[in-house]
Amino acid sequence: MDDVEIREKLLKCFSAVFPELNPVDIQSANIENTSGWDSIAHVTLLTLVSEEFGVEVDFEKFESAISFSAFLILIAETASPGCS
Amino acid sequence: MAYSTRARQHCSHCASVRKERVAHSRPVTLFNGMRLNDALQIAGRIGGIGKRSVHLLCGFTPLHLQTYVKAYLRLRFPEVSIQVLPGLYGDLEGNLERALGQSADGVIAVIEWADLDQRLGFRGNGGWRSQTIDDIVAQTEEKCSRLQMKLEALAQKIPVTLISPTLPLPPLTQNSPVQTSKLELRLNSILGEFLLKVSGCGGIRLMSASRLAASSPHHTRHDVKMELATGFPYSLPHADELARLGVRCLFPDEPKKGLITDLDQTLWKGILGDLGANGVSWSVEDKSQIHALYQQLLDSLAESGVLVAIASKNDFSLVNEALSRTDLLIRPESIYPVEAGWWPKSESVRRILKAWNIGAGSVVYIDDSQMELSEVAEKFPQIECLLFPSSDSAGILALLKHLREIFGRTEIREEDRLRVASLRASNEMHTDVSEAHSDEFIARLQAKLTFEDSQAASGRAFELVNKTNQFNLNGLRFTEAEWHMRFSRPDSFLTTVSYEDRFGPLGRIAVVGGSCQGNHCVVDIFVLSCRAFSRHIEFQILRRLFEKSGAESVLFVFKPTERNGPIQAYLSQFGSLQNTAAGGLEVSSEAFVKACPKLHHEVIEKWTM
Repeated sequence: MDDVEIREKLLKCFSAVFPELNPVDIQSANIENTSGWDSIAHVTLLTLVSEEFGVEVDFEKFESAISFSAFLILIAETASPGCS
Repeated sequence: MAYSTRARQHCSHCASVRKERVAHSRPVTLFNGMRLNDALQIAGRIGGIGKRSVHLLCGFTPLHLQTYVKAYLRLRFPEVSIQVLPGLYGDLEGNLERALGQSADGVIAVIEWADLDQRLGFRGNGGWRSQTIDDIVAQTEEKCSRLQMKLEALAQKIPVTLISPTLPLPPLTQNSPVQTSKLELRLNSILGEFLLKVSGCGGIRLMSASRLAASSPHHTRHDVKMELATGFPYSLPHADELARLGVRCLFPDEPKKGLITDLDQTLWKGILGDLGANGVSWSVEDKSQIHALYQQLLDSLAESGVLVAIASKNDFSLVNEALSRTDLLIRPESIYPVEAGWWPKSESVRRILKAWNIGAGSVVYIDDSQMELSEVAEKFPQIECLLFPSSDSAGILALLKHLREIFGRTEIREEDRLRVASLRASNEMHTDVSEAHSDEFIARLQAKLTFEDSQAASGRAFELVNKTNQFNLNGLRFTEAEWHMRFSRPDSFLTTVSYEDRFGPLGRIAVVGGSCQGNHCVVDIFVLSCRAFSRHIEFQILRRLFEKSGAESVLFVFKPTERNGPIQAYLSQFGSLQNTAAGGLEVSSEAFVKACPKLHHEVIEKWTM
């Protein structure tokens, strides 16, 4: 899976949890500037990432992922080729 | 197979389950249900005017279950806003109590073992020593009894769907998991007793554990990692299925009303024209037992009020001979009408629908011939046409289960048992004499009408109002919660009317409801079953209403619908329906007396106003 594909899939996950954000806003979204990013939204995001990328998400590792870009980095590390 | 069922056991899922077993990790989310992403999008759709609110009560964080419940409610009620009201974490009992004080259209209550005793959950630290076992049992017993009281109180007000524990117990006894522990047996016994008690309470529907197991296998349900990390215990497929069935159990589809069946290779094995009446079979000995199961199912459906008819390309006298066999497992009197002849099947179906006087959308047609099914489907696209796969026993069993699903009812009433007999009598009445509908004929019916107060909880009144289309004042439909609220007003009245004549009883066939203040009466519910048309019952009801209330006029909250032509024709006798936009049609007692025909009913009044 290349970076573009990962970015697109992650955009889809963020868009499902924060439907009021447009694709540009999503890419700069973080826990501070996004209303509604609470613990429930965070778990929902993690579950969507697991569903979308077909990977098992490590909750502890992703606990510190509090921005779109942090998610992007961790997913790139987690998603191995062909796992989806 | 010609009908659709939602299969959840797919290869990708099995593959993921196998992967899970090897890796001892949580279930991988490859499955064929609704994806969480899709559920979020469906749940997020904006609804229209009106609202459906449902309490989702459990002891854990409802998280994705809440999303799925909202999504399935949105699909069930696409035109209204949806609200799912969760409770507080770890307090199922308190959540039930709090819900009692809030209005809603229904409750989905989920009990897991941890709600009965925290030590039975995976997030508890109360210890699993053997001396704690007796205490766990005592606590569970006590908790069940408290939950029973709370659930029964809630169900008096709002319909409740109850889901009993779906997750496994933790490995808390010293037995090997291959051996059932006494604790597990005792807990299941307490739970079984509790469920039996609450199932007897009107307003509570238990979700079937075996139905759930068929589409959500036990070993794929628990997501222990998610539970420990977040408090939400379910895998996504399990949450999805639980929500789907929970919503269906709370707001079941309107059951179908009639079933039309073919005979040869369907009701029995063999071709009647070739083998004769004694040559066709339905027994183990004749290797045709699957047809016996089908007959038994039809008999059971007929007993619950489902109309059963036959459409067969056969010689009529031969069919009658076969249907007279004493070993037939469906009672012949349950079958009405029998259409046997050499005309197209769609013609038989047309005649049957006419005799039943119901819409094609409420009917199922079953035949072993794809060609016949297509011919009927082409003429009646609203009929659900199902193939009877005569050489596939497993397929037939699946068909029988499907029939149970689409004809399933929560309650069987006296009217259901009377339906076929009254239809038969009604049709005989209309063909009895040429002057049917005439005053003289109606006078000879020896008709008796009984007016009775109907409690808000009256299931028959609720059912009649919600399913009557033709003689229905305004087409209003109610949820159970709305129905209860509607009649909590002190000045409101709700009356059911039963009918019988020399052809037999029809049961409760009309409902009239509204409110009366002083000399003014408002009627916003008025329905009459189509089985009871042409007997002037609607005039007698209005006459009694005027007499009982002393009102000088009655305001009918009338609204035209696509299908309420009969009541439009009735009301137009008292005034023009063109000017009913502002609240309805006002009928004065003078206008009524002028239009009312001579009435011959004997009236028994057991109602108050």
